Amino acid sequence: MTCVLLGLSFAAQDLDRMQRLARERFGAEAGESVDAWRRMLGDAADLDDQEKLQRVNTFFNRRIAFEDDIVIWQQKDYWATPLETLGRKAGDCEDFSIAKYMSLRALGIPAEKLRLIYVRASIGAPGSGISQAHMVLGYYPSPADEPLVLDNLIGDIRTASRRPDLFPIFSFNAGGLWVGGSTSSSADPTTRLSRWRDVLDRMRTEGLP
Amino acid sequence: MSLIKQLWIAIAVVTLIALGGSLVVSTLSARHYLEQQLQVKNLDNATSLALSLSQMPKDPVTVELQIAAQFDAGHYRLIRLTSPTGDVVAEREYAGSLDGAPEWFTRLVPIKAHAGVAQVQDGWHQFGTLTLESHKRYAYAALWQGTLQLLGWFVLGGALTGLIGTLIIKHITRPLGRVVEQAEAIGGRRFVTTPEPSTMEFRSVVRAMNTLSERVRTILAEESRRLEQLRRQTQHDEMTGLLNRSQFLNQLDSALARDDAHAAGTLLIARVGDLTGLNQRIGRAQTDRLLHDLAGQFSDFAAGRANWQVGRINGSDFALLAPGEENAPELTAALAKQLHDGLDAHLQDVTVALPVAATAYAAGEARSQVLARADGALAAAEQAGDRGVRVDGGGKAAAPYPDLQSWRAALLSALERDGVRLGAYPVVANDGRLLHEEAPIRLLLDGVWQPAGYFMPRVARLGLMPRFDMAVVHAALHAISGDGRERGINVSAESLCDANFRGELFALLQADAAAAKRLWIEVPEYGALRHLAEFRTLCVALQPLGCRVGIEHVGAHFGELGDLHELGLDYVKIDSAVIRGIDANAGNQAFLRGLCMIVHSLGLMAIAEGVESESETRALPDLGIDGMTGPAVRTPSAA
Repeated sequence: MTCVLLGLSFAAQDLDRMQRLARERFGAEAGESVDAWRRMLGDAADLDDQEKLQRVNTFFNRRIAFEDDIVIWQQKDYWATPLETLGRKAGDCEDFSIAKYMSLRALGIPAEKLRLIYVRASIGAPGSGISQAHMVLGYYPSPADEPLVLDNLIGDIRTASRRPDLFPIFSFNAGGLWVGGSTSSSADPTTRLSRWRDVLDRMRTEGLP
Repeated sequence: MSLIKQLWIAIAVVTLIALGGSLVVSTLSARHYLEQQLQVKNLDNATSLALSLSQMPKDPVTVELQIAAQFDAGHYRLIRLTSPTGDVVAEREYAGSLDGAPEWFTRLVPIKAHAGVAQVQDGWHQFGTLTLESHKRYAYAALWQGTLQLLGWFVLGGALTGLIGTLIIKHITRPLGRVVEQAEAIGGRRFVTTPEPSTMEFRSVVRAMNTLSERVRTILAEESRRLEQLRRQTQHDEMTGLLNRSQFLNQLDSALARDDAHAAGTLLIARVGDLTGLNQRIGRAQTDRLLHDLAGQFSDFAAGRANWQVGRINGSDFALLAPGEENAPELTAALAKQLHDGLDAHLQDVTVALPVAATAYAAGEARSQVLARADGALAAAEQAGDRGVRVDGGGKAAAPYPDLQSWRAALLSALERDGVRLGAYPVVANDGRLLHEEAPIRLLLDGVWQPAGYFMPRVARLGLMPRFDMAVVHAALHAISGDGRERGINVSAESLCDANFRGELFALLQADAAAAKRLWIEVPEYGALRHLAEFRTLCVALQPLGCRVGIEHVGAHFGELGDLHELGLDYVKIDSAVIRGIDANAGNQAFLRGLCMIVHSLGLMAIAEGVESESETRALPDLGIDGMTGPAVRTPSAA
């Protein structure tokens, strides 16, 4: 716990910077959003994992409106950083998942327990056969456990078995990307070629660890 | 270290740094590129394999096969699947050794690419973590080949740079060679001038040295002119410009003491009969003009021959000394005819008596003897009439060989049978130190070791001088090697002109450097004067070898040696005609003092020849003489 507190106090400077950036780029309202997000992180710091999940999930599901990338960013597929998501107050499923993932990482939950999961989501009535590509964040209390699913489509967190509408395809996290603690890969031009590494890199420049 | 070498090293260092630096930079940037490529490949392949594993049934055989297929078909060092608990589910690893690049190279320039890591999912459950590493062998091989290739180009470029650099340096420093040459020449007392080079710095150096040389030349010319004026005043007859009596007799003494090719010769005297009567008959002015014309004819007759001397030894007596001219009758006939024809053309109405007489002389004769013979012959000529001509055959013993051919046979057989011996006449410095021993040639003829004067005139006539001079060089070098004493030898004018002789001499001295440093080589004044170009060549060639080079029998013609300052000589030996009776001859003292001053200003040593008396020995050092030789000079006893 002390570790987390230490981590947070250390991160305070970077978060100040993030708040300033948000105000500069997206206006005063965005600054307040980031401020609210910081307050939420501060409140949740001392809670247990389950409650942290709950706080983070609720924060983003309530505050951020779902919108397609083409509407927000005028691009077909754009992975936004939490700052951008908070700034626009809108995002699609990837943006929700990334923002939640980063928030939980900031609250000290290890990367091994978190997975960004591509899922096939059945929409409409059960058995209607209509489905769409979707992304959720999974939390694994232990490696062998069933994950808890943080989804922007529904408000509460459920275990995977209680989500028959979702079918997992592939999962990933930031583990193994920056082995050896290399400080920044922004000098490496190959970073920009991968969406995931690109967004990780941008978040880092915006002040997230 | 020479400037050229330093410049070359500078070029080499700069080239090495430039090329070596770019080699390192190129290799490192190639490595960075390869590392990036490997890393991207690791990540992408890990992700795509994890994706396809996630979609597959998870029975061990399928998983194993999937990983094996990827591993075997691709270029991987390691593919490993670990369960969430950390156990290895499946693994493929390349165990083979690394080739394609030497091991030291892989240690020196390691390629570090992180493994690609991706998650495999089984439904909602974690199935494992996939770790994938590509094989770096190809990367190392590519890096090694690229480095080698680059190194090759750089070596080529370096060689090319060196070559071009050398050419440029040569071009830049070409004038430097001439500057150094001139500086060394001046250091060796050769005050030469050279054309100014175009490089600014070199030009100012050369200009300064040229100015120095030019000043030395001017001073020398000025002093020589003054000296010549002085000499004319003291040694020449005022009215006719010929040598006066005392100086002519000194010349005769010097000629008789000679020990070389010109040791024998002819003395000719012509007497204007009844000068007093003539004065009364045609008037004083007319008579003076007559005498002047006669003197002019004598001078013209001797002009072509450098060491011939003409003098007015009495009011009415004109004399010609022709060293080296042994055919007295022919000489006499030629000169007599010229003089008589001239007289007749000059004065048609008055007949002037002009008897001519001559005598041959041989080396080593006494002056009085020769003069007595000449006087006797002149008396006989006067008896024979106004235009009488008489020639005395000479007081010498009958010639040992009847003609030149037998001389030739005798000389060559003596040279081959017994070789030559060298005489030894000490040349001693004022402080009593032995400078060197003059070593004239001796040859065994008819059972007697004959002095040079006895046979050298024949050697000269037979054109054998270079051969005999070379024999002397050999003998002198041998003698020096034997006892370490310094020797002085003569090189004749004939040998001086012989390129083969010069080449052989140079090679001999070069081969025996130690002995060469103890050898003094001297050339007679008339030889040096007449063959100045060859003499200069010899001086320049011999100077680096360490032997001393000088001029002997220096006297009347010193002023004509205009290029003395460019020769780099070590000493001059002043003719006995100047030295004889110096203690009592104020005119010659002034001349000698001036001569020594010039010689010293060029850094040469002045040595007196033919010193005969103690009084001369005492007088000479004060006049500037550094050393002397002659009958009155003894080998230092301490030696």
